[in-house]
Amino acid sequence: MYPGLLLGIFSHAAIAATPVIEVEIRDHLFYPSEVRVPANTKVKLLIKNLDPTPEEFESYELNREKVISGNSKVVIFIGPVGPGDYPFFGEFYPNTARGVILVR
Amino acid sequence: MGLLLACTTQALAGGVVIDKIYHPYVHPLEQEVEWRAVLQDRQPGMADNTQLYRFAYGRAISERWSVEAYLVTEKSNDQNFRVEGYELELQWQLSEQGEYWADWGMLFEVEKSATRDLWEFTTGILVEKEWGKWSGTANLYMLNEVGSGATHELRGQLGLQARYRYSRAFEPAIEFYQGQDTLGAGPAILGQIKLANRRKLNWEAGVILGLDSASPNRTLRLLLDYEF
Repeated sequence: MYPGLLLGIFSHAAIAATPVIEVEIRDHLFYPSEVRVPANTKVKLLIKNLDPTPEEFESYELNREKVISGNSKVVIFIGPVGPGDYPFFGEFYPNTARGVILVR
Repeated sequence: MGLLLACTTQALAGGVVIDKIYHPYVHPLEQEVEWRAVLQDRQPGMADNTQLYRFAYGRAISERWSVEAYLVTEKSNDQNFRVEGYELELQWQLSEQGEYWADWGMLFEVEKSATRDLWEFTTGILVEKEWGKWSGTANLYMLNEVGSGATHELRGQLGLQARYRYSRAFEPAIEFYQGQDTLGAGPAILGQIKLANRRKLNWEAGVILGLDSASPNRTLRLLLDYEF
């Protein structure tokens, strides 16, 4: 009925094969803060926020902005992008919650 | 006579087709106060220098839904500044960004005229596709009017934007609009200024040139949006 749902059905196999990389937020820090990702490959970042407060994953370079409520998890799709360093930070605690996606 | 024609054939929101381009994303926990202006010079059937201003408050109400309420005001050479209507808008994010070939969303809007027995219902599909530092966005709308002043015709409307993500503060874009008595295209610039933690000011400005004789010659569109 809806275009997104229709596309979801047709691209289910491709999404199932998407590599998953887990990142945790603890005490307003990202673990790991350096995330290695293969170049020109779509990946799925599974971000678990173990803090009771919300955080927002933000990266202008990756064109992504996503809120993660306290004690919950979200999925962020990245790429495919070319080799390079793509910084990201937590919008709620930008002084501590910082990291970089290393695409190689 | 020109004003009479404008009043009898004009849709809501001044019949102005050129507006902002919507992106199919909802940002949970976010609120915004928005100001938008659309200033056009001359258009057949419309008063000269029609100016439309929208003042809005919006917020996300869940991870996938947001709501925004608008006060729409208008002025022109033939008419002093007045409240033209009220709008309520619901936006629905259908897919996760980057999950599929393109990102999808929907927009539902109801507008009530402040001066006439006229309601307008809008349903829109929002699509965005990313190519490296370029983002292409399409807004496709169907509009229907109800009330004693309604034309009872279903109308379509299209807005397209190609945006280059040069930097957070400055993104050049090209926009295209097609709708009732309007076919136009032109350049726009967009940007975001971070004021503090969780405090951002988004701005947009565009000059849309009419591509046929029924369209306004030039339309200036402006937007300021404070997110918190």
